[in-house]
Amino acid sequence: MFQLSGLRQYVMASMLGLLGLFAHYGGFYAREIVAEIAILAILVIALDLAAGFGGMVSLAHGAIMGVGAYGYALACQQGIAPWPAAALGIAAAGLTGGLIGAVAARAQGIFFIMATLAFGQMIWAVTHSSRWTGGDNGLSGVPRPALPFTDPGDSQGFAIYALIVLAVVFVIAATLLRSPFGRAYQAAHENPLRAAAIGLPVLRLRAMGFAASSALAGVAGVLMAQHMQFVSPTMMVWTASGEALVVLILGGIGTLVGAVVGAAGFVLLKYWASGWTDHWHLLIGAVLIAVVMAGGRGIYGQAEHWWRRADR
Amino acid sequence: MLTFWILQALNTLQYAALLFLISAGLSVSFGLMGFVNLAHGALYMLGAYIGISVAAQAGFSAALIAAPMAVGLIGAALYLVLLGRVARLGPMPQVLVSFGLVFIATEITRMIWGDVPLVLDPPALLAGRIPLPGAAYPVYRLFIIVLGAAVALALWLGVTRTTLGAGLRASVENRAMARAIGIDTDRLFLLVFALGAALAGLGGVVAAPVTAANTGMAVSILVPALIVTVIGGMGSIAGAALGAVIVAVIEVLGAAFLPRFGGVLIYAALAAALIWRPEGLLHPRGAR
Repeated sequence: MFQLSGLRQYVMASMLGLLGLFAHYGGFYAREIVAEIAILAILVIALDLAAGFGGMVSLAHGAIMGVGAYGYALACQQGIAPWPAAALGIAAAGLTGGLIGAVAARAQGIFFIMATLAFGQMIWAVTHSSRWTGGDNGLSGVPRPALPFTDPGDSQGFAIYALIVLAVVFVIAATLLRSPFGRAYQAAHENPLRAAAIGLPVLRLRAMGFAASSALAGVAGVLMAQHMQFVSPTMMVWTASGEALVVLILGGIGTLVGAVVGAAGFVLLKYWASGWTDHWHLLIGAVLIAVVMAGGRGIYGQAEHWWRRADR
Repeated sequence: MLTFWILQALNTLQYAALLFLISAGLSVSFGLMGFVNLAHGALYMLGAYIGISVAAQAGFSAALIAAPMAVGLIGAALYLVLLGRVARLGPMPQVLVSFGLVFIATEITRMIWGDVPLVLDPPALLAGRIPLPGAAYPVYRLFIIVLGAAVALALWLGVTRTTLGAGLRASVENRAMARAIGIDTDRLFLLVFALGAALAGLGGVVAAPVTAANTGMAVSILVPALIVTVIGGMGSIAGAALGAVIVAVIEVLGAAFLPRFGGVLIYAALAAALIWRPEGLLHPRGAR
């Protein structure tokens, strides 16, 4: 069951503070990295909501994020203003996730994973081969929204905006998990039989939880479309979802904070390692196997585990 | 028109034969250990690259034997060091560890063989074309069909007619009971895993002359192979063969009649199979 402990609040606040300072004092490159971290962190928080708290490991979240991004880009193309277009993109992602969840909720374990793989790849294949989505080339010229106090084209302003969205998504996810719905949703994962016995609608809870997680993945998609000002089907392939799952495990599943720690670590490692090697996936693969075999707690999860033991 | 159908049928059979070689090991390790090995595609990739290197030194027929043996040994080593333990964990650790292995295998392949796709010429004996009414068909592709059918027949006989096969079937049905009647399931798992890896390696060498070996093939073959496994049902050789034919029909005919949306059909088939019959088309009732 999710608890917003003092440690988690403190770590989350310091992560946001550090990233903000990095964006403020670093150059253009640092600000692009901060925006990338924020977008990945939002996607991974969304995935944590489904996989960590609902036991629904999804290989469709990249595709669902893509639905958010394409929804935003297509709405803007139709002349809708950026803010309502963002709402449309998020709603499209949430609706897609709700449909996938409703159909797949019955499946368990590896069958659920493969069902999400099938639906995610269907979304990718349709996007990849349709004319109205720009096909292989994607859509370019996606606008950024007007921001108060700053010019949207300014990289520092956009990085701070992305961090604020990340903070809002974190608060939404934490609030949702501590709400009566969130408690019932976690109960349905931790002991489905007992949850059903006390009258909880297990399948509906799973589907609704998956829809909520998908809407947050849609937020990541909209933010990504605004950041790159370009959308392409590449972000929808199942390996993109797999990479988000890797980040979640490296950071620490089932903690929400671990998603942010993992995203920051992953993106920084990527830029640091690609400076001197072309083979940084080798490193990620080895670290991933080591983390899973060591018990699967991840960086933040392991730190929290030690902290609690020292506290006792 | 007749030529068109003959060609489509042969293409379907050739693709099904390849899919069967690659999926047989995945399906059996799935049914036997409940282990979904996403790194199975990486074994197929290694088979293709090792086969190309061996063929350059010692010819195609040597590659046809050496590559499956090398990949079988790699599979056995992976099982002993890592995957045997992972197979006892839940679905998420299985997916993550084998996903990590895909990363590692792909990078090692890039380091050794580079990023440029490598081609392998079929041996002179199989290089020509056979005249059919209206068109000529490559002999090599007919060889793939025959090889796939022969391997399927051999596996089917092995599973249904030998003591080892009986032990395998018993372990798929009920692992604890199989152990109780004296079947050494640990040794059986290792043997089956190595054999499945060797078949994936064989699939890799055989596929190399048709599709050039490239570093993306570990991932690109995985989804069709998983679909074959799910549609056919886990742990059944006949199911894997049926699944391979169904997937090949959908992909070949989809590409011929719906060139724009052929790619969607195969995933729709996977979703339908998972929802309609998650236990697979040929799975005996009540055995799970």
